[in-house]
Amino acid sequence: MIVVKNITKTFGAHKAVDDISFSVKEGENLVFLGTSGCGKTTLLKMINRLIEPDSGGIWIAGQKIEDQRPEELRKKIGYVFQNTGLFPHYTIEENIGIVPRLLGWDKGKIAARTSDLLEKLHLPSDQYRTAYPHELSGGQQQRVGIARALAAYPPVLLMDEPFGALDPITRASVRKDFKKLDELRSKTIILVTHDVQEAFELADRIFLLDKGKIVQQGTPDQLLFEPSGDYARNFFEDQRFQLEAGRIGATDYPALIRAFDHFRKRQS
Amino acid sequence: MDESESLWQFMHQQSGKLLQQTLQHIGLTFISLLIAVLIGLPLGIYITRHKRAAGLVLGIAGVLQTIPSIALLGFMIPLLGIGPLPAITALFLYALLPVIRNTYTGIDGVDPGVREAAVAMGMTSTQRLFRVDLVLAFPVIMAGIRTATVITVGVATLAAYIAAGGLGEFIFGGIALNNTNMILAGAIPAALLAILLDFLLSLLQRTSTKGRRITLRVMPPVILLLSSFYWLPMGYSSRLLAGFTPEFMGRKDGDIGLRSTYGLQIRTVVISDAVMYKAIYNGKLDVISGYSTDGRLEAYDLAVLDDDKKIFPPYYAAPVVRRDVLQQHPELAPVLNMLAGRINDSVMTALNYRVEYLHQSPEQCAHDFLLSRGLYRSPRNGNKGVIRLGSKIFPEQYILTNIYAQLILGYTDLTVDSKTGLGGTKICFEALVNNRIDLYPEYTGTALLAILRPPPGETERLAGNRDSVYNYVRRRFETMYDLEWLDPIGFNNAYALMMRRGQAQQLGIHTISDLVDYLKKDKL
Repeated sequence: MIVVKNITKTFGAHKAVDDISFSVKEGENLVFLGTSGCGKTTLLKMINRLIEPDSGGIWIAGQKIEDQRPEELRKKIGYVFQNTGLFPHYTIEENIGIVPRLLGWDKGKIAARTSDLLEKLHLPSDQYRTAYPHELSGGQQQRVGIARALAAYPPVLLMDEPFGALDPITRASVRKDFKKLDELRSKTIILVTHDVQEAFELADRIFLLDKGKIVQQGTPDQLLFEPSGDYARNFFEDQRFQLEAGRIGATDYPALIRAFDHFRKRQS
Repeated sequence: MDESESLWQFMHQQSGKLLQQTLQHIGLTFISLLIAVLIGLPLGIYITRHKRAAGLVLGIAGVLQTIPSIALLGFMIPLLGIGPLPAITALFLYALLPVIRNTYTGIDGVDPGVREAAVAMGMTSTQRLFRVDLVLAFPVIMAGIRTATVITVGVATLAAYIAAGGLGEFIFGGIALNNTNMILAGAIPAALLAILLDFLLSLLQRTSTKGRRITLRVMPPVILLLSSFYWLPMGYSSRLLAGFTPEFMGRKDGDIGLRSTYGLQIRTVVISDAVMYKAIYNGKLDVISGYSTDGRLEAYDLAVLDDDKKIFPPYYAAPVVRRDVLQQHPELAPVLNMLAGRINDSVMTALNYRVEYLHQSPEQCAHDFLLSRGLYRSPRNGNKGVIRLGSKIFPEQYILTNIYAQLILGYTDLTVDSKTGLGGTKICFEALVNNRIDLYPEYTGTALLAILRPPPGETERLAGNRDSVYNYVRRRFETMYDLEWLDPIGFNNAYALMMRRGQAQQLGIHTISDLVDYLKKDKL
């Protein structure tokens, strides 16, 4: 689905992305994991041409992205921002309908799609449709951000620390509802995070990045149990017990999240 | 109470003019604003995308803003002449900075996350501009337009200086005529206009998102409509264009008299005395109001039209002296009267010309004049006392005061103390009455209309006759103020209509009646 070949990007003297190549299969969930400044966000933004690489090439569905108009390319790629990036002057409904409107959908189709997405993300349509973003909580705003990215059925979804700005409890709840969306099954997703647990929970494959290079790539199990070197080993050290327990099934994560949710409800 | 009642009466009497000036003022404001927005908004957008140009553009607009408004208008005259064009240009340059700066800061202040999201969703740069940047920057941009509007309403009062109309006509006319009601009739509507527009725009500024979209659609036609007000009050058309000072426009012995007595109907603009002569010389105007002994008559080769129906009262100059001074120094009156009948209109014009255009000192000029008439004597350096001479603040008065000073020094044992530049009539006269000065040259017409202000019937009875006016003011000054009018110097510095000498000859216009006849024929 996505093929990246020898991508390099430097900002001044700093090499943000250093000769990276990889490919992503259709429907695969890929996670770029790393500390801040490792180049993961730069790498992500080059896929929808928010940043242009200095050298190398990227192909999506066999088409080189350089050969397409960036506006056309971006309408086919959903994008979720860490800080939502919702338009403050648009209602929730209008925000979700931005890309469909750019694509020229008729009003009825947009309205149907919007309320469908809002229901799926647990935001009752008649209650939130005409609200403005500032009237929503952070978690609700991020749900709208996800709905907006999905609205026009893009085959590819890029997510830049999508849950990073939320408190741990809200984060777990939003992530849970996100994971349950059935339309994600066929989507190729690339997600950027520095949160190890999030990476393990969502990824089919993880790229561990450092200083613009892929230190190790593989399934969560491979990264955890067969670290390629010191960097990878140290990266997971703090949470090793929890992660390993999770992988071998000693802890039921969904159950844990449910418990968090329950806790949150009691609190509010 | 009395004041406000008569202000109301004045505004009621002048309601036609008031409406015309207000419409012109609104028109001027919005034309300038429209151009400022049409240029400032795209320029502001451009510099948000080319940050390097921002400093330069904002710098230039900022410098324009610091030029004093009257100076900016002055710069415009050599480039664009007089009338609406230079006025609108100057106003638009003033309005430019707030529009550019607020567009720039407004768009620059839009959340970068929102702007990136707009890019990431595949919006083109035009879509981003109209759906995101401009809508989100709207309150800031409107604040800039609001500032620009208030500035423009204020500065537009100065448009009256260069024949572009507006409420400044009343304001400057009122200042020149010392007529408070007239000043207020211009100043109050101008202030109300500024407050009203500021309020309306503040409503727009705070409007909701939906309101913004409507505003963006409705504003352009509304501004266009308001701009068109400027051309609504066009009067009758004639080929000749007259330029009158604000003072002349408001005087009975000025524009009002020309209309009622002569039936003069001519396209008229109001213009400052400072640019009027240059404008007629350059052919921008054809008829102007002026003073019959002005040095600029000679400098610009203008012909005075004969006032054949005598609406301009005579303005014969004569020294006005405190009676106690004359009694204390009996030798003074004969010396001052040595000048009586010695200076006629053309001699005075020539003397004014030397001071105003050849930049000779009034002292030198007085000295040369006395020498040429054989009247000059070296100062005697006497010690019998001091005579305090006053003068108003224009060259003719400086020259006369210097001549008197030199005569007193040469023919008596008195010394002099010159207090020149005492501003207008009011200041000079008050100084004389309150014993701050002993004498100053005054004009019979001024004494009649500005100081004594007799009832209208009396004025009409006297008007036109040199001797009756002189005798009237002389008697009144004696009985009312203990002041003595000595003999007239000879020249008559009256109001006059003037045209370019060449054009007047070509059209066969020698009197004001000729001008009226010509305009009537021209219309048919």
